[in-house]
Amino acid sequence: MKDGMLAGAAGGAYQVLYEVTLGVIGVLLLLCLVRAIRGPRIADRVIAVNMMGTLVVIAICTLAFLLGEGYLVDIAMIYTMLSFLAVVLLTRIAMGVWRGKHHSGAQGV
Amino acid sequence: MARLRDDWEHSPWRNFLRWLREGDDALDRAMIASLDAPAPELREETAPEAPALPAEEPLSEKRRRRLRAIYIALSVLLCVGIIGVLVRTAGSLPSFGGAENPANNEVSRRYIEQGLQETGAVNLVAGMILDYRAFDTLGESNVLFAAACAVMLLLRALGWREGGTELPGHEPHSDIILQKISMVLVPLILLYGMYVILNGHLSPGGGFSGGAVMGAGLILCANAFGIEVTRRFFTFRTFQLVSLFALSFYALSKAYSFFTGANGLHSFITAGTPGRIFSAGLIPYLNLAVGLVVCCTMYGLYGVFRRGDV
Amino acid sequence: MEWFRFALSAALTLFGLFVLVSAVLGVFRFRYALSRIHAAALVDTLGILTMLCGLMVAQGFSDATWKMLAVVGFLWLTSPVASHLIGRLEVTVNDDLAEDMAVADPALVREEKESED
Repeated sequence: MKDGMLAGAAGGAYQVLYEVTLGVIGVLLLLCLVRAIRGPRIADRVIAVNMMGTLVVIAICTLAFLLGEGYLVDIAMIYTMLSFLAVVLLTRIAMGVWRGKHHSGAQGV
Repeated sequence: MARLRDDWEHSPWRNFLRWLREGDDALDRAMIASLDAPAPELREETAPEAPALPAEEPLSEKRRRRLRAIYIALSVLLCVGIIGVLVRTAGSLPSFGGAENPANNEVSRRYIEQGLQETGAVNLVAGMILDYRAFDTLGESNVLFAAACAVMLLLRALGWREGGTELPGHEPHSDIILQKISMVLVPLILLYGMYVILNGHLSPGGGFSGGAVMGAGLILCANAFGIEVTRRFFTFRTFQLVSLFALSFYALSKAYSFFTGANGLHSFITAGTPGRIFSAGLIPYLNLAVGLVVCCTMYGLYGVFRRGDV
Repeated sequence: MEWFRFALSAALTLFGLFVLVSAVLGVFRFRYALSRIHAAALVDTLGILTMLCGLMVAQGFSDATWKMLAVVGFLWLTSPVASHLIGRLEVTVNDDLAEDMAVADPALVREEKESED
């Protein structure tokens, strides 16, 4: 990962292309946030949060190329893991809460 | 807020107080009484009820209102006092960006220019927090340990969920698809966490972030396979031993700064060639210790908050 | 050669952006959560593949390229499981499922909601 990639003849073109990409991903993130706030049910919100995580991963990898720093992709990997873990735990807890409300008294503590 | 033991009345402290108050005969009588006392029952498998609190008399309305007024007055006074002290202190700080401020002296230039050859760490931040300022990071690790101890004391002592194996609430049993994927993923995540910890001196990462990744891997394992499987290799005893030994290793390596001052001793573990994994003196080992403490703390706090026991 | 690499990377990136925009559009326009899962899965599979392939072509072979391949592999392993879990959540929590869509097997839905595991 060298800055020479962006300093050559095509360097300016890469810069423009990926800066436009980052802008578009930013707008898409805001739209997903709107869906997360508006979504009438919890499943809509979890879908939106998962999608926001993946969009952020794409943005981090793009930044890793633009800045020439290869280790930023490690952060993208960690973010993927964390968003998957978040979905696993959120669905588990949401199902537990719902069943707790509807089965009160069926199962002890 | 620790639980009283079952034989508290006959514990050494109570015996001492009894001897102090009443003399030798009373102590003999108390010892004979303790031998005759019935043995504490074996705990049954079903969860016992919550311990009953002593009944209180209700306060009269006037007294309650007066107590409430005093409480509010004292709270306001305390807050105003603390705010006054803080504002006064902030007002006497040096101005932002002044030339003689401690933040602008020659220390940062020395770290940047000679950090690589003095510590051997390619990642200058790791070199700073684990070599130049290792004493401060010891304080941070202690804060983490103290927080974990406080949470364990408060939440594990609730008694009726100790050793709990049941799922909190009415959660569904684990999915078979999640289990099959976790069989592949959990080892990979733990391996990745170890990579981040061990590469702390070569690339951004280090003990704190790598420990968090390993903790997340353990949380996924507990969610996918259930608590019984995870307890085969991570119990409360593991949590205690790993935290204790990791933190003791860190403390013993760096606590001599109490006696020798900020510069420390000249390390006989050489800095090595920068860029290799076994370079930078003690930094990889300190990273490992911090990473293990953070991993145990993350998983331990998750377990204690979810089901009352690790 | 440079311009060929740029053209390939630009084509992949622009197609990837098109996929991402359609996915977000789908999440907004579909009416039910179970349909939105289909739209959201576009991002996790085709969207990230084309975007990261565009980045890998632009970089050439370096450490970061293999790491990006690892990110794509990890995401492909975990994204179907996440979608499955969200689908299970929707079926369990949603009380009006039978009014919105045709349920093929009501016994399964009831078992999901009431099983005492």
